[in-house]
Amino acid sequence: MTDAALDGKKIVSTVGMIVTLTSFAMLFATLMMGFAIYRFTTPVWPPQGMVRPSLLIPSLSTLSIFLSSMSYIWYEKNLKDKRGLYLTFGLGLIFMRLQFLFWSTLRSEGIFASSGIFGSIIYAFTWVHAAHIIAALLLLGWHIMQIHTNETVSENTITNIGKFWHFLGIVWAIMFLTIFVL
Amino acid sequence: MAFFEQHIHDAPTTFLSKYVFSFDHKVIGKQFLWYGIIFLGLGGMMALLIRWTLAFPGQPFPVLGQYLFPQTNGVVPPDTYAMLFTMHGTIMIFYAITPILIGAFGNFCIPLMIGARDMVFPTLNMLSFWLAVVSAIILVASLFTPLGAAAGGWVSYPTLSLLAGSPGIGQTMWTIALFILGVSSTMGAVNYIATIITLRAPGMGYFDMPLTIWGLWLTAVLNAIFLPVLGAGLLLLTFDRVLGTTFFAAGAAATSGSGDPLLFQHVFWIFGHPEVYILILPAWGIVSDLLSFFSRKPAFGAKSTALAMTSVTLLSMLVYGHHMYTTQMSPLLTQSFMMLTMTISIPSAVFFANWLGTLWKGSIRFDTPMLFSLGVVFVFGLGGLTGLYLATVTTDIYLHDTYFVVGHFHYTMAASVLLGGFAATYFWFPKMFGRMLNEFWGKVHFWITIAGLNGVFMGMMILGYAGMHRRLYNPFIYEFLQKLIPLNTFVTVSAITMGAAQIIFVWNFIYSMFKGPVASQNPWNVGTLEWTIPSPAPHYNFKDIPIVKCGPHEIGNPNLVGRDFQYQTEEVAKA
Amino acid sequence: MKSFLEQIKPPLDISTNGHLIDYLFNYTTLLIAFFFLLVCIGLFGFSYFYSKKKHPKPFYVHGTSKKHILIVAGIASMVFIMVDMKITGISNHDFVNVFINWPEETADVVRVEVLGQQWAWNFRYPGPDGVFNTEDDIVTLNDLHLPIGQKIVFQVTAKDVIHSFYIPNTRMKLDAMPGRVSKMWVELTTPGNYEIACGQICGTFHYKMKASLEVHTKEDYQKWLKSSYERTKYTTDAVNPDVFWGWSWVASTK
Ligand code: HEA
Ligand code: HEA
Ligand code: CUA
Ligand SMILES: [Cu+2]
Repeated sequence: MTDAALDGKKIVSTVGMIVTLTSFAMLFATLMMGFAIYRFTTPVWPPQGMVRPSLLIPSLSTLSIFLSSMSYIWYEKNLKDKRGLYLTFGLGLIFMRLQFLFWSTLRSEGIFASSGIFGSIIYAFTWVHAAHIIAALLLLGWHIMQIHTNETVSENTITNIGKFWHFLGIVWAIMFLTIFVL
Repeated sequence: MAFFEQHIHDAPTTFLSKYVFSFDHKVIGKQFLWYGIIFLGLGGMMALLIRWTLAFPGQPFPVLGQYLFPQTNGVVPPDTYAMLFTMHGTIMIFYAITPILIGAFGNFCIPLMIGARDMVFPTLNMLSFWLAVVSAIILVASLFTPLGAAAGGWVSYPTLSLLAGSPGIGQTMWTIALFILGVSSTMGAVNYIATIITLRAPGMGYFDMPLTIWGLWLTAVLNAIFLPVLGAGLLLLTFDRVLGTTFFAAGAAATSGSGDPLLFQHVFWIFGHPEVYILILPAWGIVSDLLSFFSRKPAFGAKSTALAMTSVTLLSMLVYGHHMYTTQMSPLLTQSFMMLTMTISIPSAVFFANWLGTLWKGSIRFDTPMLFSLGVVFVFGLGGLTGLYLATVTTDIYLHDTYFVVGHFHYTMAASVLLGGFAATYFWFPKMFGRMLNEFWGKVHFWITIAGLNGVFMGMMILGYAGMHRRLYNPFIYEFLQKLIPLNTFVTVSAITMGAAQIIFVWNFIYSMFKGPVASQNPWNVGTLEWTIPSPAPHYNFKDIPIVKCGPHEIGNPNLVGRDFQYQTEEVAKA
Repeated sequence: MKSFLEQIKPPLDISTNGHLIDYLFNYTTLLIAFFFLLVCIGLFGFSYFYSKKKHPKPFYVHGTSKKHILIVAGIASMVFIMVDMKITGISNHDFVNVFINWPEETADVVRVEVLGQQWAWNFRYPGPDGVFNTEDDIVTLNDLHLPIGQKIVFQVTAKDVIHSFYIPNTRMKLDAMPGRVSKMWVELTTPGNYEIACGQICGTFHYKMKASLEVHTKEDYQKWLKSSYERTKYTTDAVNPDVFWGWSWVASTK
């Protein structure tokens, strides 16, 4: 392909990705708006004498997803060695594992999805986010496959997957701060 | 400007790759058109059932009745009535009008009119169609579930739409179907936006795009931003129904800890109001173009029309509260929403004036597409202006949830957008199928339709002002509504008339596809890019990408010799 | 068989404020009729005079000249100033000074609690002690009795799903939502029997959710209060919790 065509494709996929991420952002923004309304219309938070879940596991998840983003950036910096990519994938898996752990501990702490608005929010939001993480992991897996069957991978794919992954990281960070810490 | 040139793929050969799982935007467009027309038929039949019940309560629906409702030997039962208007609303908005205006003409027109060989993401395009099909299957299947389909109105407010209010699986399927459709439409929107930004033929600036493209583009922007909002709402609703969360549960429905049903209304209308402009923006664009093409003169103030549409798009994000006046928001909110809603009529008036300016001193040809476009100007005048009664809080306190609202939005959607869709169909049919639709029957279709729909929707307005509220199985158990029986009968008769007209259309459509007179390359003598190529358009659209040298409406220039219009690929003729 | 104009009249206005809404409606109609006339003149007039036959040579103009832009801008601002500003002004005025201008809740004000449920309207009067949710409350089902010449304040909520408390004869409507209490006030003028409806879809029998509104003169109303108070002495039993669906009146904030 000619260079012109190449950076043509680059621009196109960038535009596409930006629009896509805007849509995803609106999805999470709406959830956040919902949270804000519940949060500020209820006098005491958490309501109905609920206790906040311990911050331990969520913080670990935050750490893992942060590191995974870092390692992906590293991978993007030097595409030659693939360790960055594997690390990202691994940390992503760890994040998911932690999420499941988190949900089971919630249950053991007596916070259920059906037990009032507080539980609903924590569960529903993490569910939605986790669903996206899984999708992103599938993307990463597919990309790893690409490498192994060493077909030619365009840089766009890599940067776009990256954008999506970092985006999910940011979303998690916001969720962590708003619904767990504050 | 085009950032790169898509290369010509060789034509698909197998039946599957050609007609079913096609990447070609034109084929996908046609698929969406069929999808839309079929659902228009379905939704229309439901409308007729609704109308029948309202005009002749307790009387069996002729012919079809005893097959549809054997247990009541032909009479529509009350619970079914609720399903009927819910499904009618949902189907007409999301499965009939959206596919026709955005799915069909969006796909068909965008690449052709901006001089591209296809959408930027053909695969995504195909996916978007087949997701829409999946969603349609789920929705239709919900009609056959034990407790029947969703019955909470097309807005399906909780707590009625929660398990407590509607235990059937139908409501859940409705929610999921709509979510999937949302994903599909968002995919489409991403595709449209990216295509229009990156694939415009060299030389085509934004203001050289036909206004049709402007409309479709703004629509896509609104879709990409606000469908996810609905998506979030639907997700939470599904969680509430399936996984026992309590976001919207309150009152008796709330087992433990209470959510807030009102939140859903906010989320729904944050999406819902932009949605109504999502529906009408393409129609506005199409009409603005056609008026100019058939008055044989440039679109009056095309640039200001485009800007007006843009400002409507922006304003539409700030007015959703006018659907919730009677929920008693804080007075301050109510007042600001009233004010903001009002401002929308400024840009609207701008392009109305431009439309009339386009007709002014033109040389008007009354071909069918033009008739429908003129029809849109008429009915949208009514539809839009009646919006103002609803925009003022105090009158809305009385009119809210009456047939006045129903009349308003049928004038805007079922009249303006529908006619816009028909205009587009008659106009682009030659480029789609290489044959012309029958002019005579087209005109018949127009006159019957416009007569019928004014009967129906003006009737609804009057009913509403007389106090008849919405979603009533049998209004006449109220004394103050009994005097309205004759009027309701009249509305129903008009609706049947209108329906009949649509059968003419469908017949004309199918017949002309195969037997219609063969269309020339440029039957309407207009200069936009799609008419520079043969009809029907070849699968690669443009053998070599055109270079754009002038705007889309260069018609009637006195310096032109031979023909009274020029193609966008030509320099503006100078003396 | 009433005449057509008879048929399309809204129900008789029995309130002191309904006429405000009717007035604004008619006023809006007037303004809108004018502008729609303009549209029609343009639409049909131009179609007639500038048809291909009558006017074969189109006038080549892009409408981008200063003059044209000014005309368009003029029309737009005409719509805004002549229609929007006017009706918004009136509506806002009525809204602030009448409809959300809650009456001082003196002894003279009639207070009623309204509970919507599938598919009926429950009404609750405080009874002699003036306190809601006590044994002497007067509770009625689908049967609302009100006096003329006294301000009436409703507090409205719903038990199960969203309903809408709709009194056509007063042009008033208010959503009844589970989990929140909203309020509305009216003052009636004409005794008689009228209808109350539910405006919001609330399930299969939404259309049957109808209550009767009996408007009395002050004296008759007092009589009715007395008689029904006597009745409630025997009907309401103190132990049945279901009877006490009311809530302690939310004091008006103003
Ligand atoms: C395509 C769809 C569409 C469009 C375009 C509109 C346009 C508008 N709508 Fe409508 N509306 C709906 C679809 C639409 N609506 C639907 C579906 C509902 C109900 C949903 C439900 O409850 O089920 C609804 C409900 C609805 C309500 C809520 C009513 C209620 O539930 O109580 C309100 C209230 O403000 C409203 C207002 C408006 C306004 C102010 C406009 C404005 O955009 C109108 C602007 C246009 C004009 C003002 C006319 C143009 C100007 C002129 C003609 C001036 C003259 C010009 C010259 C002389 C040159 N609409
Ligand atoms: C764009 C959207 C759209 C369209 C086109 C229509 C079209 C029509 N609608 Fe619809 N309507 C809505 C959107 C629409 N409606 C919505 C959103 C609601 C609110 C739902 C709710 O309350 O939640 C509603 C509610 C609604 C009601 C109120 C129900 C109630 O509140 O109780 C009524 C009552 O008369 C009605 C009537 C009609 C009629 C007579 C038509 C006519 O225009 C129909 C004319 C068309 C036909 C008769 C069929 C066309 C025939 C063919 C195309 C040929 C057949 C083709 C094949 C077989 C392939 N509609
Ligand atoms: Cu209660 Cu409708
Ligand atoms: Cu709106």
